[in-house]
Amino acid sequence: MNRRIVVVTQLLFALALFAAPSFAADDEALKKDLTAVIALQGLPCGEVVNVIVQAESDFAVTCKDANKYRVYLNDAGRVIVDKQK
Amino acid sequence: MVRHSAVLLVLLSSGCASVTPPQPQVAATQPVAPQPAATKSADTPVAVATPEPVASQPVASQPVASQPAATPVRTSAPQPARAAVKPPPVKPVPQPVLKGAAPIAPAVAASRVAAAAPPLDLDALKARLRATKAIGVFTKISLKNKVDDLMKQFTEHYQGKKPPLAELRLSYDLLMMKVLSLLQDTDQTLASEVVSSREAIWALLADEKKFFALQG
Repeated sequence: MNRRIVVVTQLLFALALFAAPSFAADDEALKKDLTAVIALQGLPCGEVVNVIVQAESDFAVTCKDANKYRVYLNDAGRVIVDKQK
Repeated sequence: MVRHSAVLLVLLSSGCASVTPPQPQVAATQPVAPQPAATKSADTPVAVATPEPVASQPVASQPVASQPAATPVRTSAPQPARAAVKPPPVKPVPQPVLKGAAPIAPAVAASRVAAAAPPLDLDALKARLRATKAIGVFTKISLKNKVDDLMKQFTEHYQGKKPPLAELRLSYDLLMMKVLSLLQDTDQTLASEVVSSREAIWALLADEKKFFALQG
């Protein structure tokens, strides 16, 4: 019984170890994507350091240079980058 | 315990034994580089500082003729003689080659690919751009928006409205550079394909009949 508990604990620990980096990787990919979107619009940013998901395809973004933007997909299917105060 | 230590010792000694043979290969590949270095050193007076032997690997693969490299190594047959010969050619060579050739190498590779490029397959290129993981979803949508804007400008141009062809060419070049800057680090093959089909796509856009055929 004790051995089973140990095995299950080890499995959970291993899962946690692998799961955390995958979330982090997704987050990094999103940041990179949004950085590219902002750069494509010719807006200053440097690098996205924080992303808050407001809705589906709607993000509040904070840049390394302290600029803040709202990046979202409008009804016409265009990616819009609005500068926030 | 004694067995374990013995096994460790054997592994360590075999590891050390495997380290030495690759050195002649490195020495054989690195001296190949002096030919481009000699030609490019006049163009780029940079050089100096931070020796990075790792970066010389892609450079070494480009030049083919290796006669001068082979001669100094083969003349000294015994192993101790090799060890004596190795250091002089290896150490001075990478430093000028690295700084001079590293930035030029991708451009040379791209031009070679462009020269050997097959005719434009726009649908395949579109499919590959859609499928690539080098560009994020939102970036792709944003790029698509920009392509649509440019196409609209071309339509306006052919309807006799304002943007002249030179201005459209500038917009087109900028858009291509944006795409390439997104691709070049993570999907180099696609980037080189885009580069090679750049002029062919422009030829489609700049010709009114071809452009409207493309639209329809």
